[in-house]
Amino acid sequence: MVKFDKVTVEYDGKAILKDVSFHIRENEKAVIYGKSGSGKSTILTTAVGAHIPSGGKVYFNSAPVSADNILQIRRAVAFIGQEPVLGAEKIRDSLLLPFSYKVNSRKAPPEDKISKILKELHLKEDVLQKDASVVSGGEKQRIAIARALLLEKRIFLLDEVTSALDPESKQAVIELFGKDGYTIISVSHDPDWFKTCSIFIKVENGKISRISDSPDDSAFLTHREIDTDGSN
Amino acid sequence: MEAINIRYSTMAMLYGVLLIPIIISIVLKLGTVKTILISVLRMTLQLGAMGLYLDYIFRFNNVWINSGYVLLMIAVANFTVNKNAGLRTARVFFTLMLGITISTLIVIALFIFLSIRPEPFYDARYLIPITGMIVGNCMRANVIALERFYSSIRKNEKEFLTYLLMGASLREAILPYLRDAVKPALAPMLSTIATLGIVSLPGMMTGQILGGSSPIVAIKYQIGVMIAIFTAITMTTVLTLLLSMKTSFDNYSILRKDIFRQ
Repeated sequence: MVKFDKVTVEYDGKAILKDVSFHIRENEKAVIYGKSGSGKSTILTTAVGAHIPSGGKVYFNSAPVSADNILQIRRAVAFIGQEPVLGAEKIRDSLLLPFSYKVNSRKAPPEDKISKILKELHLKEDVLQKDASVVSGGEKQRIAIARALLLEKRIFLLDEVTSALDPESKQAVIELFGKDGYTIISVSHDPDWFKTCSIFIKVENGKISRISDSPDDSAFLTHREIDTDGSN
Repeated sequence: MEAINIRYSTMAMLYGVLLIPIIISIVLKLGTVKTILISVLRMTLQLGAMGLYLDYIFRFNNVWINSGYVLLMIAVANFTVNKNAGLRTARVFFTLMLGITISTLIVIALFIFLSIRPEPFYDARYLIPITGMIVGNCMRANVIALERFYSSIRKNEKEFLTYLLMGASLREAILPYLRDAVKPALAPMLSTIATLGIVSLPGMMTGQILGGSSPIVAIKYQIGVMIAIFTAITMTTVLTLLLSMKTSFDNYSILRKDIFRQ
């Protein structure tokens, strides 16, 4: 489904990713881990064409990512970062923002679908009336997930998606993405999140140093430990 | 009625008046004496040269010379826009040039050719100063709009990507940034228009009255010029941003980093 074949990404002449190769098939759940600044998030953003590789190729459903198919790929993939962008002042507007775009204009979700998804993510209905500026980081992450679910996305790129969630909401998110039907490439250091994943990719200095069906000991270092470990 | 000419001896005395700010600068140790002298020298040389070539252009009043001069004004303004908006000239110069040229020409056509209708239609006395005012304001507005637009997309890379991932086309994804860039570019002119005649006496009107026009004629021109300028800056900012996108985004709809000077 998503394949990196010897992908190198450079910025200002410096390689951020070097010869990165992996293959995530449909319904598989992968987690990328490693020190901060090692290139984990760049892998996610490269997958959706935010960086054009200077070497190697990215494939989606066996087709190389190109200018011709990037729009379709982006429409199939959700990217949820640590601080998701809501893009509107009111939460309801932010949930419905994608449906203001031409391509989704006929797919506006019915109210009961919105309610069902909010419930699934442990979000109260009254969150819809709130201002984006007053909701917590954890709520923002779940609203961004809800929006992607309203768009019926099945491929999720998740960057530390459980980092701001309380235990109960985290459980709800983990249960949701643990289901079949979702293909996931994530970046995380959360042991609970790791339990939902079956592919563990370790990144060091822009290179993949290990791909396995279980993480190594460095996976659960906290951010503090990672930062004092000599990385940036 | 002709304006009273200022004699060269009087001009010399006016330069002498500059001693007041120079003395103030020395006494308060403002450290601006050199800057004052250089600035006044530059003004004198630039305006002196302008007086000479405007005199020449007015005398010939040739359609090709006048049109060439208009294009030169636009090109120089465009260089300034590129430089001050922090963009690489080679990448965006021609698309920006197209934006400012189209909007300036449309407004000139509406304001000079259809409203004032000078004889001949390319009369330098109308075409050159009015175009100058329009282009000068377009230049200032474009600097603000381009700088805001591109620096804000660059700064909010992930936000921009989120819009694309929600299904937005490039046009739809840039819309919030376009709005945030155009509004501040138009705001100074809008507040100038609103306070004109109360806070400030417009330069053009003052000039016309000093030159012998009746205040009513001067006011009509001033209102016309303000409308022309505001229409031109609205058109040029939107058009320039939209046209510049062709060369500023890559095939994947991602902002090219090489459009920036740094």
